[in-house]
Amino acid sequence: MTAPRLAATAVPGRFEAPLVERVDLSGRYFLMVLGRPLGFPEPSPGAFVHILPPPSGRFFLRRPLSILDCDERSISLVIVEKGPGTRALRRLSIGESLDLIGPLGTSFPPLPGRRILAIAGGVGLAPLYFYGKRRAAGACSGYRLLYGARTRDDLFLDRFEWSCDNAGFATDDGSHGFAGNVVEMAKREIEGGEYDAVFSCGPGPMLRAAADLARSAGLPHYVSLENRMGCGMGACRSCVVPTIGVNGEARETVCRDGPVFDADRLAWDKLPDV
Amino acid sequence: MKPRDISVRIGPEVFQNPVFIASGICGYGDEFESLVDMRRLGAIVTKTITLRPRAGNPPPRIHELPTGALNSIGLENVGFDAYLEEKLPALREKGVPAVVSIAAESAAEFETIADRLGEREGFKGVEINLSCPNVNEEALDHGRNPAFVEKITRVVKDRLPSKAVLVKITPNVTDIGAVARAAEAGGADGISAINTVLGVDFDLDTGRPIFYRGSGGYSGPGILPIALQKVWEVARAVSIAVVGIGGISSVDDARKFFIAGASAVQVGTAFWQDPELPERIVDAFADHPEWMRKGPY
Repeated sequence: MTAPRLAATAVPGRFEAPLVERVDLSGRYFLMVLGRPLGFPEPSPGAFVHILPPPSGRFFLRRPLSILDCDERSISLVIVEKGPGTRALRRLSIGESLDLIGPLGTSFPPLPGRRILAIAGGVGLAPLYFYGKRRAAGACSGYRLLYGARTRDDLFLDRFEWSCDNAGFATDDGSHGFAGNVVEMAKREIEGGEYDAVFSCGPGPMLRAAADLARSAGLPHYVSLENRMGCGMGACRSCVVPTIGVNGEARETVCRDGPVFDADRLAWDKLPDV
Repeated sequence: MKPRDISVRIGPEVFQNPVFIASGICGYGDEFESLVDMRRLGAIVTKTITLRPRAGNPPPRIHELPTGALNSIGLENVGFDAYLEEKLPALREKGVPAVVSIAAESAAEFETIADRLGEREGFKGVEINLSCPNVNEEALDHGRNPAFVEKITRVVKDRLPSKAVLVKITPNVTDIGAVARAAEAGGADGISAINTVLGVDFDLDTGRPIFYRGSGGYSGPGILPIALQKVWEVARAVSIAVVGIGGISSVDDARKFFIAGASAVQVGTAFWQDPELPERIVDAFADHPEWMRKGPY
């Protein structure tokens, strides 16, 4: 049977959002806090904004960035500097405005009464941290977030409010928390603890390992994917991934049909690692 | 002030203004509806449809460059049946003026598509895509062959006499005028020029092309002078309408196509960055209908 499609929860608009604060986290990671523009729809955890890096005319395509947090006054994003576009974002001055379209895409679903184990790596932290903060709204009955990074410095421990039920950390070098891979850590927790669902967001190989883990544990799994995008609205078909539709093999866009998918909907054997 | 008439006639059809969105940019029209009122435009050209659904090319499909982007989508589309059942009726219901972009692997397939479109309403014209660079089938790139262009144009126009029939031609030829004249001889009402410019980029880590198929189609501000050149050549080669496409990212860019001899324009990839651009061009031309005059001032 085909796993159901998730639906986007907000109607996107185009906005100008001023940079309010920028924090260098560690290495290539930085945090941007934007003023929330008037009329910006309420985003659900998993939704992203499509941002045009400055200055005007320098970049041609927008960059999809998952929302880390959003309140009445601000929208926060955690970004990894990968190339000229993200470098330009890092150099933006306080008070300068960014052209953004959003909120876009599907979100991690509310699962009332369920206990969720969320597995995050790198900037994949954003939607799962946001979900944890929104837990107060009764989205689920338990939420544990496991976050993996290379070293302690990449965990941004002092920067974030770890306001979930609890959070666990894994580092490749063992400098903080579980020594090793975050999916290994998740495996032990699933064996020992009681969970009803798995969420994941992070690098491709991590997502694949999380999918294997959820499948073998027989747990529903929702996964957020990343991809190169053109339009961000589901029109250009640049960001399609192989899925299992009612008529067999299908292709769905990460920007509109995702970024959050029911893992059973994805054709993992044909999915290239992002 | 009374709104000024900036309508444009292409063959048997009148479009309310000369600003269209190019094929492949806004899908089937519904994807961008929260950002743009498509009813205000001259037309949207929907994503190219083939008789059967196409899966398109393996990823990656898009690659940003300093003055534009290379794409290799590969004509992924829902197929003609789904288009007729779902997409076209939705556009008609919303009152969005539509031009149906079609491609096919053979003359017989073009016949089938045109026959079935001839039984439908809810669109103003068709654009025969004889110029997608991102597919393997020979017929799909026969747009370089004037005899084939003339034949296909006639096949379609004969079946859709009351619709505007545009032929979208490739810039990747030595003599674009010869291809445009072939379309005119086949009965085309207009020439859409240009499709993307063939381009390639390489990954320095692997030494391989970025795209699975190697080359892709280059679009964006970088192709504006190439598009203007080709439109200029086409406008001198034919007496039917020319629809200018390629690299438009401002009102001024659009104006230049009219100077080069175009009767209408299509906004392409810049739409993703600036979805309000087509409407801004409409408003600017409504304030300055004289900008629609062809040729030098």
